[in-house]
Amino acid sequence: MRLSQKARLLSAVLVPMVALVACSGGSGGSGGGKAAGSGGGDEQVKLTVWSWDGTVEKAVPGFQAANPNIKVEVVNGGSSQDEYKALDNAIQAGSGVPDLVMFEYFAVPYFAIPGKLADLGEFGVEKFKNDYVPAAWADVTVNGKVYALPSDYGPSAMFYNSATLKKAGIDKAPATWDEYYEAAKKIRALGGDHYIAQDTGDIFFLLSLIWQAGGRPFTVNGNKVHIDFTDEGTTRAVAFWQKMLDEGLINTKITGWSDDWNRTLNDGSLATQTMGGWLTSTLPERAPKAAGDFRVALMPQWKQGDKVGAENGGSSFGIPAAAGHKDAAFKFLEYFAHGGGLSTRVDAGAFVPNTSVLESEAFQGKANKYFGDQKVGAVLAEASETVGSGWQYPPFFEWARSIYGDIASPFYTTGKVKLAEILEQWKQRCIQYGNEQGFQVD
Amino acid sequence: MRPISSPRAGAGNASGAPIRRSGRGRRLYTVENPKKSTTLTVMTVLFTLYCLLPLVWLVINATKSQADFVSSFGLAPGRDFALWDNIVEVFRYQDGIFSRWLLNTLLYVVVGATVSTFLAALGGYALAKLDFRGKRVFLFVVLGSISVPGIALAIPQFLLFAQLGLTNTPWAVLIPSFINPFGLYLMWVFTAEAVPTGLLEAAKIDGAGEFRTFLRIALPMLAPASVTVLLFSFVSIWNNYFLPLIMLKDPAWYPLTVGINQWNKLGSSAGNGALVQNLVITSALLTIVPLIIAFLSLQRYWQSGLALGAIKG
Amino acid sequence: MDLARRFDVTPSAMASPDEERHPAPAGRRRRSQIGLAFIAPFGALFALVFIVPILYAAYLSLFQERLIGGTTFVGFANYGKLFQDPQFWDGVGRVIRFTLVQVPIMLLFSMALALALDSMRVHGTKFMRATIFLPYAVPAIVSTLMWGFLLGVKYGLFGSLNDALGTDIDPFAPGTTLISIGLMVTWAFTGFNMLIFYAALKAVPRELYEAAAIDGANEFQVVRAIKLPALRGSLVVTIIFSIIGTFQMFNEPQILPTMVANSGVTTFYTPNLYAYNLAFTGSQQGYAAALALVMAAITIAVAYAVQIRGLRNASDQ
Repeated sequence: MRLSQKARLLSAVLVPMVALVACSGGSGGSGGGKAAGSGGGDEQVKLTVWSWDGTVEKAVPGFQAANPNIKVEVVNGGSSQDEYKALDNAIQAGSGVPDLVMFEYFAVPYFAIPGKLADLGEFGVEKFKNDYVPAAWADVTVNGKVYALPSDYGPSAMFYNSATLKKAGIDKAPATWDEYYEAAKKIRALGGDHYIAQDTGDIFFLLSLIWQAGGRPFTVNGNKVHIDFTDEGTTRAVAFWQKMLDEGLINTKITGWSDDWNRTLNDGSLATQTMGGWLTSTLPERAPKAAGDFRVALMPQWKQGDKVGAENGGSSFGIPAAAGHKDAAFKFLEYFAHGGGLSTRVDAGAFVPNTSVLESEAFQGKANKYFGDQKVGAVLAEASETVGSGWQYPPFFEWARSIYGDIASPFYTTGKVKLAEILEQWKQRCIQYGNEQGFQVD
Repeated sequence: MRPISSPRAGAGNASGAPIRRSGRGRRLYTVENPKKSTTLTVMTVLFTLYCLLPLVWLVINATKSQADFVSSFGLAPGRDFALWDNIVEVFRYQDGIFSRWLLNTLLYVVVGATVSTFLAALGGYALAKLDFRGKRVFLFVVLGSISVPGIALAIPQFLLFAQLGLTNTPWAVLIPSFINPFGLYLMWVFTAEAVPTGLLEAAKIDGAGEFRTFLRIALPMLAPASVTVLLFSFVSIWNNYFLPLIMLKDPAWYPLTVGINQWNKLGSSAGNGALVQNLVITSALLTIVPLIIAFLSLQRYWQSGLALGAIKG
Repeated sequence: MDLARRFDVTPSAMASPDEERHPAPAGRRRRSQIGLAFIAPFGALFALVFIVPILYAAYLSLFQERLIGGTTFVGFANYGKLFQDPQFWDGVGRVIRFTLVQVPIMLLFSMALALALDSMRVHGTKFMRATIFLPYAVPAIVSTLMWGFLLGVKYGLFGSLNDALGTDIDPFAPGTTLISIGLMVTWAFTGFNMLIFYAALKAVPRELYEAAAIDGANEFQVVRAIKLPALRGSLVVTIIFSIIGTFQMFNEPQILPTMVANSGVTTFYTPNLYAYNLAFTGSQQGYAAALALVMAAITIAVAYAVQIRGLRNASDQ
């Protein structure tokens, strides 16, 4: 009697579970089934790729056609931060580690230094070096070894709304930061919400300004990190932006990538954006009403006649040390970041740091309708090739940038921004954290 | 239409008198159907407006194209009425993955809510009507567990589930959803209150086993509580975001919340992701509609459940 | 019926009367086995989903992870560090302030609405009950989007309101952000709490009202003598749940910074957000685990205090 009760109790619980197994096996197991049941012919390899770059997926059919024994599954793991944590989790758990993973450039050292990424030297990666702009190659090189291949690039450029500039009486895009300052005053004189740009504590923007001015605040050598925000270039860039903020020429209320930002770009009240070249593809969605008004130029220069640029964003792909199919992973990586799949991705809107693409007539000569038929590619190619060299990110930059807002925000809200003080506090936090993490930071 | 309860109602049932169908449409104010109050209605309506306003925004903006969304005032209609286009696009975007997310969510919700409610009823019954060693400790630990932030558990849970090979499978979402400490608590309270021990004893004297007694006698009396627990489980699983985010890597197993958030992140983080706010908003609206339907239909069930429980008693 | 006792979770009140009445050891053992069989499915899964991860978190909290040098055992150093961490206490202070203000307001609304709807004296009861509960069903990401618009000063409804009234109030300035979050949380959870109150009111035997009607009691007397006492137990429950919910506040402060600049939301705005950032961007899992466990201990202590107080008030009656 008791036994049968227990049995019924159990079955009441188990029946739905069994039903679920049956149904989940039916819908989800097809891919796994194929991989497992590959008896005859070539050995099937199933590659798992984590990427938030939609163009990588576009290269899959071409690759699979050329490599029928490799099946590529591209998984969009959400934001970069989610992905990094998921990768850390998978490595820690020892299961579910993907074969190929997308990283922002600043995240490469974070994974490379503790040995979580495979050294691509074993695949003879050096021979691809010439196809990449030097700064991008430097981004994926940590302590002399290459851990990833650059897949998209963010040369900083100035996007400007020519109609707004005209309204303010400016005929020519500012070519130097001095001209930029003068332009900012004229635009502000239009009143209302008119500003030359916004800044609510955007660390990537500030760093690109420092980068261009020749500042190199982070020096990384093995486990040693040196932080200095007082070198000449940094000082110049910080002082300039400090002046812009002090004189109320910058909108400190609207944050990038917010709905408000989209709308101020759309109605033309924000005149310029000094940002990564990737803004090209998303600007038309954000500012549909400003179609035909925007143009792209090189970053304003510190010295008349100079041509120096900086980076703002960009990413690469690396192979985790714990990946199961490293050879196949590199094959695919080479295909979409250098080889046959590159053009497919470029057609799909990717902005890549490959010189073979940047220097091609097809890329440089194409008129972009949204930008008033300007040949945007030519400008961005020049911006890519003039990026200042020697920049380094500390391996804990992902953390560092996450807390930058904590320090900067109180300054921005009071309206009295002291950039130098923010950077100094930031440095102290970085030193404390970095040393806790086992680096030697000073 | 008796204003005073029938004599039968007082005949010793614990859950109260049977609810009579009051005379609808007749002007006879009873305890069940008193005179309506304008003041109370106005006050309630005000709060209802506060609840509705954001939803009105949602509905209006679901009718706008992306271009209209960034160009028009939030509570004003856009130039084009794009609701239908948006819905079609939601189901077509990224090879129609939205319908997959919808089905996943249904799977998680139906299986999760049913199992968790049943387990809670079983456990609540054991706590209220049966003895076992360690009961006090058990209750204390279960209730204490509610206080532990889910985020603290997320990483250990992930590592544990990875050991069991359950990550990136629907089990990683389902198994945690089977446990509803609040549901167990509600069931315990309701069983203690609404199920007379005498009735159970009588059933057992008639030869029914413990599990049979539970199924035949207790469970029907717990119907209103079950619907309540089911409702809360339903909503919490439907809105479950953090755990699936950590456990699942394959978008084919995402629930709606994670999927929609991903679409939103495409446009709201720096980079060249597509800006698809119109799809985010429309899909959010589509996500809420099933919940409204579920709530309204469960609500009817709940009402009759109350009455049913009373009559059975 | 002793309503306060219904919701009592203290061990002293958990001794069931049956236990005293059945002293026969053999019968008890058999009953105990049946009881265990009933609780086993819940218990086993509970262990898997909660107990083992909590123990694992406790274990993790004794270690420090480092990018260089790996994981080292540090004993209780994480806890020591936590008690001196001003960022942690800043977050704790904030959720306590929030609890003291927002929770009473929200519960007052919930209770008033439950009473109004239960009185059957409101037109469209069913519609409004459903509508007020509805926000609870809206995913946080969507609700934050909606409120971001409603409270936006530039393009949002609040901006229009400012224009119309000639005011210059920013709902997302550092001083006002917490109030705005309160508005969002109240919106989302009033309906949930209302349903708990409403269910308690529905559980009141109808004949009590009928008896009161015969005695000639008016509406307010019925509310005072029957309904409010019936809500006491639910009140304790809703307070406890609201405290737990507030102490774990995460979604709103996490999503807000992507929408509005410099709203004063830091990475340590609430303890839960801090734990998340420590674990997810700072690679400080051990420290995050210690924080979460301390937070859980604080929450349990506060919930327990509310419980005791709820009981004492009940016995004063």
